Amino acid sequence: MAVIEVQNLIKAFKGDQVVKGLNFTLEKGKCVALLGPNGAGKTTTLRMLSGLLKPTDGSIHFEGATKGEDIRQYIGYLPQYPIFHPWMTGKEFLVYVGQLAHLSKKDAIEKADQLLEKVAIFEARNQRIGKYSGGMKQRLGIAQAMIHSPQLLMLDEPVSSLDPLGRREVLTLMEELKQQTTILFSTHILGDAEEISDDLLVMHHGEIVEAGSIESLRHKHQTAKFELAFQGDTTTYQERLKQLECIQETFLEKGEIHVIVEDIETARREILKEAIATDWPLVKFELSRTTLEDLFMKVVKN
Amino acid sequence: MGEILNSLPIVAPLILVQFLLMIIALISLIKAEQTNGPKAMWAVIVIFIGFIGPILFFIIGRRQY
Amino acid sequence: MQWITIFKKEILEDWRNYKWIWVPLVFIVICIMDPISTYYLPQILESVGGMPEGTVLEPPEVVPSQAIMMSLTELSMLGVLVIVAISMSVIAGERKSGVAELILVKPVSYFTYISAKWAEKLLLVFTSYLIGMLASWYYVDLLFGQITAGQFFSLFFFYLIWLIFVISLTIFYNTIVKVPGLVLTLTVVTIMAMSAINQIFSYRMPWFPNSISGHITKMLMENSVPNALWGAVSITIILSVGLLIASNFILKTKEMAD
Repeated sequence: MAVIEVQNLIKAFKGDQVVKGLNFTLEKGKCVALLGPNGAGKTTTLRMLSGLLKPTDGSIHFEGATKGEDIRQYIGYLPQYPIFHPWMTGKEFLVYVGQLAHLSKKDAIEKADQLLEKVAIFEARNQRIGKYSGGMKQRLGIAQAMIHSPQLLMLDEPVSSLDPLGRREVLTLMEELKQQTTILFSTHILGDAEEISDDLLVMHHGEIVEAGSIESLRHKHQTAKFELAFQGDTTTYQERLKQLECIQETFLEKGEIHVIVEDIETARREILKEAIATDWPLVKFELSRTTLEDLFMKVVKN
Repeated sequence: MGEILNSLPIVAPLILVQFLLMIIALISLIKAEQTNGPKAMWAVIVIFIGFIGPILFFIIGRRQY
Repeated sequence: MQWITIFKKEILEDWRNYKWIWVPLVFIVICIMDPISTYYLPQILESVGGMPEGTVLEPPEVVPSQAIMMSLTELSMLGVLVIVAISMSVIAGERKSGVAELILVKPVSYFTYISAKWAEKLLLVFTSYLIGMLASWYYVDLLFGQITAGQFFSLFFFYLIWLIFVISLTIFYNTIVKVPGLVLTLTVVTIMAMSAINQIFSYRMPWFPNSISGHITKMLMENSVPNALWGAVSITIILSVGLLIASNFILKTKEMAD
């Protein structure tokens, strides 16, 4: 079941399209990474979904929300650089925003304590936020986004500003939150996306260039490839490889022949059979896979 | 001289209020982690510029955010 | 519920940043300093010296209504400036710092957000103004003569309408720009421009907001409320409400993330 459905979402600043017609749906219970290099339009997209920016065109439909209903109650949002009232304590802030999200004071206090425990700042709950470290603020930011148990939690670059330790803490926390709610988070780091998300939305220049589950994308972009190097004139062997049936495509790179094959097992057998039969001066015969990293690099370089 | 003494009960509250204002500004100045501009400068302003000094400190000197 | 939540949060904030202490104290000083110094002017001059021998200095001929109007004159300058200064960052500051990004993604209506903040500033100003004017009343009574309770409270409430307008105008500019200093400048320039307009056209526009204190002087002298004062007060209330509605509209169409 879809939690949110986005159709032809466009955002233009002074005629310049930053987001160029996005179409996607988020499945309930999934953790989705909005992956893309800086400037791809990730933050703009999240801000539109949270209601902070008005779309130039397109529609955002929230499952279960009636037309014209305030969808902010279903959404929890953490901006990339969350700013708090420094004079408030962490607990005061959570209770405050909890009440703003229609919780009663009693419920807000209860929920605040739970979340403070969960994000591991319970000890510092009565300290002024002005004294919190960057990692603590980020975790408090996640807590404030979760205070009203939203159906969709959106996090803008939740780990990119943190040191390795803080990063690990937040990733672990997100792993836990995955069990409770649908998560959409933006990142420019493939590793973070691969680590905790189920689905990927790859964004570049304001468009979604790839979408799907990590597994399906990995599969889709995982073409099998052999790299061969020879003593002597390489090109003659390239001609002979081309004649093999199992080979789809060959090209030369840095003096090595790269062959894209359909099926690894048959290709290996065929190539080696040919190599032994005609006594090739092979110096390298290596199987390599294209990965999501290659896909991401290809997207970023274009 | 007698007249000045007579006037004391009347003027005293005004002086007291101004003094109180100065004290509160100083307490706030000491407790503040950061001020816009050096603390010593604000201390001088609060103490020496009548009752305008504390107002200036609360409005400009104290960091709101 | 949400309204009370924001209202309470504002009170707590102004308590922690000492506004609930210093603003009332400042208003006391503003309200009583002129009546007192006017009364003691002869003695002050005497102690400064430079008067010819034998000059007898009497307290100047000031009637009680003139004396209490001195408080309003000071409030119109310094008081208004303080009110604008304490309200200049009430929304602009939150937008500038980025806290608004966390607050306004919660399901809270913009009007609740604006009006709760407006009401808290009004409560702070009302309290300070009340304390200041009560002190002024006490001194005027002591030094210059009687002001009746009827006179005092009608003066108090009519002038309060002007202060409400000042707060509303400041809130309005808070939604237009997000630099507190600019909010202050725009508000003060607007009030000065209005005051200039009032002076030029006072005969043709007796209901202009800035004419309220002039009408109050007349009210104290004649002991009856001039019609023009009712008119001016009504216009000022309508303008204040209009400013709040406009603020709501502006904030709604603004994009919070900019």
